Amino acid sequence: METLDPPKNAIELSAFWTWMGDDGIARTKTKPFAEITVKEAIENSAAVSSLFVDRKFPLLIDARNIKSMEREARSHFSTHGRETKITSFAVMVKSPLSRVIGNFFMGLNKPAVPARLFDDETDAINWLKKYVL
Amino acid sequence: MSSNIKDNNSERVQEILDVIMSYARFDFSKKTSVIGNETLDAIGAGVNMLGEELETSTIYLKEKEQLLKEIHHRVKNNLQIVSSLLNLQSENILDKRYLDLIIESRNRINSMALVHEMLYSSKDLSKIEISHYVERLSKGIEHSLSKNDSSVKFNFNIEPGLFFDIDHMIPLGLILNEIISNSYKYAFPSNEGTITIEMIDTEQFYRMTVKDNGVGFKPNFDLKRDSNLGMQLIYMLAEQLDGKVEINNELGVSYQILIPH
Repeated sequence: METLDPPKNAIELSAFWTWMGDDGIARTKTKPFAEITVKEAIENSAAVSSLFVDRKFPLLIDARNIKSMEREARSHFSTHGRETKITSFAVMVKSPLSRVIGNFFMGLNKPAVPARLFDDETDAINWLKKYVL
Repeated sequence: MSSNIKDNNSERVQEILDVIMSYARFDFSKKTSVIGNETLDAIGAGVNMLGEELETSTIYLKEKEQLLKEIHHRVKNNLQIVSSLLNLQSENILDKRYLDLIIESRNRINSMALVHEMLYSSKDLSKIEISHYVERLSKGIEHSLSKNDSSVKFNFNIEPGLFFDIDHMIPLGLILNEIISNSYKYAFPSNEGTITIEMIDTEQFYRMTVKDNGVGFKPNFDLKRDSNLGMQLIYMLAEQLDGKVEINNELGVSYQILIPH
């Protein structure tokens, strides 16, 4: 089941849509051909954190449409050294471009919470469900 | 149509290659263009990200190098301050025995300060060429110990291209300082003679020979019984390098120090 179409109440940022799913998993989706600098990364994590009510949650990132992510943004998303409300995150990749960016991010930035790349949304959701508190 | 795609791909491969070559020259200002979602775009994006990582690592390494340089500089300055303090102290000392002790200590400190000075001036900050060091050290000792009418000469025969790191250079410098100082103090009562310093790499070990053509040890000199602090230091420092010391007392005194690779 496709769950990554932003609903009407999604937070819309310059490069992302972000919302909380009914299953307790937050979603964030890059806009087509999004170029992610540290500014967009900080905006995004602020939007994700604003979904926090009383417990941390897992996050599904749909990066299938991404164009680029600069180093500072990759470093920011690794969650090291910053307050974060997420328990884990899964990154959806599909195109060769998103695959390279996703692998680069995972390979070099060593995220501070459990994180994995997926090309199948159902697999990603099933993995993230383990981290719903 | 297919020929157009081929040409376009060739141009893009060339563009990616140009960027890779720029990174190889540590020029990180270029990036490949990412215009679609094809394989070449993915490779280009990977190259761009690799460039960013390399740039960060290069900056980090340069900062570390600068810091290391600064540390060597400060250590050298601090050692020189100690040396200058000893110098000042020596001005008020009339007893020659104490004066000699101060000069010996000052020269030992200077031999270490010179290692740090040459390290921060060297290209890779980790090694110095021993031939350059030996010549400068010898000049320093000559300046400190030679008398006005002295005509002690140095003869250097050191294989070019022998580089040592700080862990080797500090003990080697101190050993050289002791041997050259001993020659100055005891070998030439007429203030005339030659000190020869040789060093070669035999492929199994480095062989350093320091010899003078002076009067040699006194007839009843016993290494174990009569060794001064300088002589003890030579043995201790050679041991620190896992090396061996051989002393010969014919036609002057000759020290041969073998240091394993």
